[in-house]
Amino acid sequence: MTGYQAIHPNVTIKLVNNPWEDYWTKLPLALDGENGPAIFNVHNSYHENLINYLAPLEIPLEELQADFTGVDAHVIDGKVYYIDYGMMTGSVYYNKDMWETAGLTDADIPKTWDEMREVAKKLTIKEGDKLIQAGLNFNDDFHQNYLLGLNYQLGENLFQEDGRTPNVNTDAMKQIMQMLVDLYHTDGVGSENFGEKGSDSFGQGQSAMVIQWGHYYNTLNTTWTDINFGVFEIPTFDGNPYAYNRYNGESSFGVNKNAPAEQQAVAQDFVKYFLANDDAQIAFNLAMSTFPAKKSLADNEKVMENPSLSILSEHIDRYIWPGPMPSTMETSLKKAGQDIFFNGVDIDTALNEAQETIIRDMKSSTFQSVESLYKYAK
Amino acid sequence: MRRKVCKIALNLILLALGLITVYPFIWMLSSSFKQNREIMALEQHLLPQVFTVDNYINMNARFNFLRFFANSLLVTIVVTLAVIYTSTLCGFVLSKYKFKGREILFSFVLGTMMIPWCVTIIPKYSMIQSFGWLDSYKALIIPAMFSGFGIFNMKQHIATLPDEILEAARIDGANEFFIFHRIIFPMAKNGISSIAIFQFLWTWEDYLWPYLVINAREKQLLAVGLKMFSGQYSTDYGALFAATAISIIPVLLIYLVFQKQFIAGVASAAVKG
Amino acid sequence: MFTKTHPLQSKSEIILRNIVVVAMVLFFTTFLIIPIGIAFAGSFREWNPLSGTYRFLGLENYKEVLTSPLFWSSLWNTLIFSVVVIIFRVGLGLAIAYAIYSALIKYKSFFRSIFYMPVVTPMVAVAFVWKFMYNPQIGTVNQILGLDINWLMNPKTALAAVIIMTIWKDFGYAVVMYMAGLYSLPSDALEAAKVDGANSWQNFRYITFPLLKPMTLFVTITSIISYIQAYVQILIMTEGGPGTATYLSSYIIYDEAFVKYNFGYASALSFVLFILTAAFTWLSFRVSGNEE
Repeated sequence: MTGYQAIHPNVTIKLVNNPWEDYWTKLPLALDGENGPAIFNVHNSYHENLINYLAPLEIPLEELQADFTGVDAHVIDGKVYYIDYGMMTGSVYYNKDMWETAGLTDADIPKTWDEMREVAKKLTIKEGDKLIQAGLNFNDDFHQNYLLGLNYQLGENLFQEDGRTPNVNTDAMKQIMQMLVDLYHTDGVGSENFGEKGSDSFGQGQSAMVIQWGHYYNTLNTTWTDINFGVFEIPTFDGNPYAYNRYNGESSFGVNKNAPAEQQAVAQDFVKYFLANDDAQIAFNLAMSTFPAKKSLADNEKVMENPSLSILSEHIDRYIWPGPMPSTMETSLKKAGQDIFFNGVDIDTALNEAQETIIRDMKSSTFQSVESLYKYAK
Repeated sequence: MRRKVCKIALNLILLALGLITVYPFIWMLSSSFKQNREIMALEQHLLPQVFTVDNYINMNARFNFLRFFANSLLVTIVVTLAVIYTSTLCGFVLSKYKFKGREILFSFVLGTMMIPWCVTIIPKYSMIQSFGWLDSYKALIIPAMFSGFGIFNMKQHIATLPDEILEAARIDGANEFFIFHRIIFPMAKNGISSIAIFQFLWTWEDYLWPYLVINAREKQLLAVGLKMFSGQYSTDYGALFAATAISIIPVLLIYLVFQKQFIAGVASAAVKG
Repeated sequence: MFTKTHPLQSKSEIILRNIVVVAMVLFFTTFLIIPIGIAFAGSFREWNPLSGTYRFLGLENYKEVLTSPLFWSSLWNTLIFSVVVIIFRVGLGLAIAYAIYSALIKYKSFFRSIFYMPVVTPMVAVAFVWKFMYNPQIGTVNQILGLDINWLMNPKTALAAVIIMTIWKDFGYAVVMYMAGLYSLPSDALEAAKVDGANSWQNFRYITFPLLKPMTLFVTITSIISYIQAYVQILIMTEGGPGTATYLSSYIIYDEAFVKYNFGYASALSFVLFILTAAFTWLSFRVSGNEE
């Protein structure tokens, strides 16, 4: 931003920050008014609330497609309103000290879920029945990091072929949910009551492994500086998955189509500048710990220095973005998981209920899954 | 002797209850001087192991909290003063004037107290939007200028003031505006104190309405500001606790200043109701 | 001489009266009656401000509310939440106020202020603090009690945990109200009782408590109204979880209106809740009326 203002001194940009959730709830309301911002942060999970306020980008589509991965998923009627500058997804973070204490070496880094479960058992420490150290912890984020993503490893999409009906009470989803239950209740490598959040528990040195998305790399480096951690790629069921996981884009800015023309022009210019500028792209991707969508930056040195990104590079094209899923996908699956772990509901019932809730919540939604645009789509 | 035992026991019980009541405050205040990693640490201590005032600096530097604080103070004072004035005025007219429809009007005011926020908030929001009041303190102040609770309280309270004083003033030739401002208003100070305390608190902690109608960050109020400390991926607990500690001060001050009259004021509203 | 009955209204009285009546009517019409009308009309529609939908549905929204299991479970939660909090608020409030009021306690205003502190703290802040205190591993509650309970995630304890927090926050209000009530009691009645040799329990049971009835009614009714509308503690502490175990009815309204933007459905829910509030208020008037 300062870089841009240095070249264009006549432009003043007023930064407005809002708390994360509030920002997305309020942005559509703000854009509805007359004095909304000309340019604003887009997050694709809030696509539907924002798309009616967005002006198409003026950059030619072919140029964008040539330079960036994942552009196709953002094309609406031949126009692009925003694209992703970076891709965020989940990886396994492990505590290196605990790893060593358990007698594990680099050769033990699991490739499959079966190996993962064995490693997790070795990393678990108990005193009688009391858990002292969890081998793996997925509390509070299992829906994000397991349920909405591992389905792809089993070749199942999150949405049915019509692109609108959720696909969450499938055998694949049941298998994943069952694996989570088994990890805690059969293998005993963790507990739903051990650590309110897996991410905090790892930081507190109570859990040996967590699956987290890229942003966690930054959290570890700022809040939990004592933890000596490593990262490895997410395990698979058979070593040859349909796709490894879901990814989510960190999106470029959006231009408010209701803003005055001269403000829009500046906003368009700013977006162009932002996408063209490699330094800005690297800086944003590193700041967010996202893998650059800009193809020319895929093997950039600075990117490779970040272990949470370098481990992704080999299979980065084997991740799927389902499109800007309505948030009910997350909240409903979280509820389903809580029902299973805390309220004693069985897996089938909970997932059927989630399926129904999502259908109801999506009644007036215009969401269309873009899973079919995946490079290796069946 | 028995009395003495009773006395000590009762004092101890109250002291224990008091300790339970203030403990979260002490914990919060103490945590506001801890680093975030210490707040989240497994080893918990009541007092900070590493004393830091960073949270107080961060709370302002990163979240501009003092700005929210000042905004809230402004809006809350204006709303409270407005409600005090309108409530006293309406209470005076409803209790001391006899006119057709008075009882209906009063039961209507009572009825307004029962309408849940959720019934009116959506249309109110659309109205404010069509008035072009979004992002303006008009949206916070004008729809709050009259309060059913305030009018009810003041009506009850002023009804207890003797009519003779009014009659005497009228005989002396005072007009009603004079009577209201110079006689009723000062005499109603107990009732006013209770309105002041309640209204101040309600406006101060109101969350949803300012959250909906105020967009510009520099105009935002404190209760909404407090939620900003919880970000997308993590909550800045240290700054949150620091901000909370500071946000209590004005309401507590108002209470301490007005509490004597307040106690007398709420009594007249409810007991003689 | 002038008559004392003040038969004719003075000009200024008429002016003042007219100003006040007009202002009140205007205000409440604009910010209450009209919005209620709009909401009522909207409750029969599919109404989503984001997609611009405003389509007539008839009774569909109401039917959906009344057949939704979540609504009924949330209603049950709301009932438990309100009743328990009100009982404790009134009970604790009265007991503590009476204790402070008695001659046995010396530092009256000290105690009164202590108990009032949570009342004047913003709910958003309090809820965050308590959420932290309920943390199973590092929370104060478990550490002090020596327990290992996942308070906010266990369906058996989650609502209770929110209830305890709410009682803690709000009982001070009742303390102060009752103290006010106690101070305004006619002292002759109490004196008379002393002369009659009533012991302190009889004194309380047969004289003080009945005299405080208007205050009890006042506290109860204002509590009913505010607890049926409570949602901030849920929003911050549990988000309705685990599963849907701690959904309160007004939290559904918040969620439907301002997360999912189903204004129509949320309005229908609001009216159902409004009717319930009115019913409960009426009920408490009846119950207290029957005692007489």
